[in-house]
Amino acid sequence: MSDSTQTEGTRAADSVTADPPLLSVQDLHVQFPFSRGSFLNPHHGVIRAVDGLSFDIREGETLALVGESGCGKSTTARAIINLVHPTSGRVRLCGTDITGLGDRAMMPHRRVVQMVFQDPFASLNPRMTVGNIIGEPLVVHRLASGKDRKLEVLRLMDLVGLNPRFLNRYPHEFSGGQRQRIGIARALAVQPKLILCDEPVSALDVSIQAQIINLMMDLQQQLGLSYLFIAHDLSVVRHIATRVGVMYLGRLAEIGEAESVYSHPTHPYTEALLSAVPVPDPVLAATRQRIRLVGEVPTPDREHVGCSFADRCPLVVDRCRVDRPPQEQVVQTSQLHTVACWERGK
Amino acid sequence: MKDSQPLLQVNDLQVSFKTDESQVRAVRGVSFDVHPGETVGLVGESGSGKSVTNLAMMGLVPKPPGRIDGGRVMYDGKDLLTLNERQMQSIRGRRIAMIFQDPMTALNPLMTVGQQLTEMTRLHLGLNKREANRKAAEMLELVGLSGAEKRLRDYPHQFSGGMRQRVMIAMALSCEPDLLIADEPTTALDVTIQAQILDLLRDLQQRRGTSIIMITHDLGVVAEVCQRVLVMYAGRVVEQADVQSLFAAPKHPYTLGLLNSLPRFDQSSHTLEAIPGQPPDLGNLPAGCSFRPRCPWAVDACANEDPRLVTMDQDRQVACLVAQETANV
Ligand SMILES: Nc1ncnc2c1ncn2[C@@H]1O[C@H](COP(=O)(O)OP(=O)(O)OP(=O)(O)O)[C@@H](O)[C@H]1O
Ligand SMILES: Nc1ncnc2c1ncn2[C@@H]1O[C@H](COP(=O)(O)OP(=O)(O)OP(=O)(O)O)[C@@H](O)[C@H]1O
Ligand SMILES: [Mg+2]
Ligand SMILES: [Mg+2]
Repeated sequence: MSDSTQTEGTRAADSVTADPPLLSVQDLHVQFPFSRGSFLNPHHGVIRAVDGLSFDIREGETLALVGESGCGKSTTARAIINLVHPTSGRVRLCGTDITGLGDRAMMPHRRVVQMVFQDPFASLNPRMTVGNIIGEPLVVHRLASGKDRKLEVLRLMDLVGLNPRFLNRYPHEFSGGQRQRIGIARALAVQPKLILCDEPVSALDVSIQAQIINLMMDLQQQLGLSYLFIAHDLSVVRHIATRVGVMYLGRLAEIGEAESVYSHPTHPYTEALLSAVPVPDPVLAATRQRIRLVGEVPTPDREHVGCSFADRCPLVVDRCRVDRPPQEQVVQTSQLHTVACWERGK
Repeated sequence: MKDSQPLLQVNDLQVSFKTDESQVRAVRGVSFDVHPGETVGLVGESGSGKSVTNLAMMGLVPKPPGRIDGGRVMYDGKDLLTLNERQMQSIRGRRIAMIFQDPMTALNPLMTVGQQLTEMTRLHLGLNKREANRKAAEMLELVGLSGAEKRLRDYPHQFSGGMRQRVMIAMALSCEPDLLIADEPTTALDVTIQAQILDLLRDLQQRRGTSIIMITHDLGVVAEVCQRVLVMYAGRVVEQADVQSLFAAPKHPYTLGLLNSLPRFDQSSHTLEAIPGQPPDLGNLPAGCSFRPRCPWAVDACANEDPRLVTMDQDRQVACLVAQETANV
């Protein structure tokens, strides 16, 4: 790639002169304490849901986070907007430190960063009509009232493909995919700069999915919006992401520009992940080979001194079990593409 | 496979909901068969009635506001729609199990995952507490939730989205049902675990001859596991075909639009081709074909006549006047 050196050049310049990144996450840790065992013989410990994660999101860019179920993607997003408090690490929004802010202090920042939740069923208030759910952020942030508010809500509903006639319906009267769109309209209401999207299109049929993705990309172009986009559908991710981060057990295994990660997957976990994507072609599906991961799926309730993927890794060497590979090892094909792997990073 | 007696026959099923402004006709005359050992895919527009069709079969549509307006669901010589709640309970979970689309409403937030997993097997298989616990741990292991025993005492909110979904899968499979209804079972799972779950379902099918209704919008999953596919739009089945022919030559314009909307894994083009227009309002459907306002092929006749599902060639049924017309010439 000829322009990668140039991009690297501008990025290096950015860090001295230009604005700070829109979002910067540094060495984020989130732990959930638990106690198990019997009353007389308790056993305490912590679940390391996020275990040392660093990344930036710049204006107008989409960073996709993919990775194994339970690897800490939702927790990362929740920690960024302080729905759970980070155990350690730093979160900066437009250069301002927002780590661990309480609800009140977080309020003004919620105009800048919004979240679309993974579980549309649990995240919508069942006693509010759709119109009020979508309009609530407009009230809270005093952005529109009365007739203007109603018009704005109708516009948002139309934007995400919800029939405006449904204004006075309640969440339970909608199908799975319709509820997901309510969440998206609500997040768009305050015109944020950054939207954390946790599986925003996973319950949608591919046509409406295409409609929402096109909408998200249009808004990005028009308004310079940025997204943190959590998804399992790697075809969707390839389509929408500027950069992709592959997570494994609370850490980043690999991160880089989408093109580079897809054409040169470098971490053995990324390779396995990409080989398992189901293809919408019954003939191809019957013949294709995929890399099967063997070995125990690890749990986040013990500390991994070495690489957390070591137990399942086909390339494992002794060092992997004792030394944690740093996230910043550059991959040959691109300066912006890094991998946390002793074997592949060198 | 098609020579066998169907395990389940759905005939002209109709379901509606009363809302403030109208009667929403969510399912408008759906018919299909499921044969033993077969996987039938159910795809279609969001809000087209896929979940409601299956909830109605299981006697789980909330009434009111829901209402079954007609139809029959024949299983084992009985019409499931006529059974009372007690009779239904001996079938639900045991003979026909369902993986629900929304784990958070299907799981009880006040009960531990272990309690919920053992409840079914104790009730239906008569296991004692010890056996049921062992079975629960074994099921969690199968769906890739390691350290399973340790997590039996956790509550659903302590699990990630994908973990909850797998708890539901484990629950549904634990009594080895004859028919499994899987409503978007893998949406919250990464592709490696999804592959593992699909293997698990295939294995169950081969070992036990289990039939599966797979509701999904993931056409990749359809291509991998289904033999036959039903495509729904606005409460109706608009196309039915075996999986190869559906992907090779979709006949209904909605199916075609759906396949064209797919982002392809092997390419990153720019704008995706969404089907233009708004999904229909089921409380206020246009006369004629409900897809007409968005259809690139629509002709005058489409405004007057609501097309029936007509058998075209061997295994293919389509509800579209234009497609039927072209096939005839
Ligand atoms: N309790 C209810 N009251 C009113 N309308 C309802 C109710 N439940 C469902 N509906 C409507 O019935 C239609 C069918 O819903 P259903 O959940 O079956 O859709 P679906 O095909 O499963 O969609 P999705 O893919 O988004 O899950 C939807 O248009 C929905 O708005
Ligand atoms: N409130 C909580 N209490 C205890 N453990 C929790 C809590 N929330 C999350 N966890 C644990 O943290 C880990 C990461 O969960 P998270 O929801 O972030 O995963 P995820 O990557 O979003 O997964 P998925 O793709 O399945 O949604 C899991 O092991 C989960 O069980
Ligand atoms: Mg999640
Ligand atoms: Mg549904």
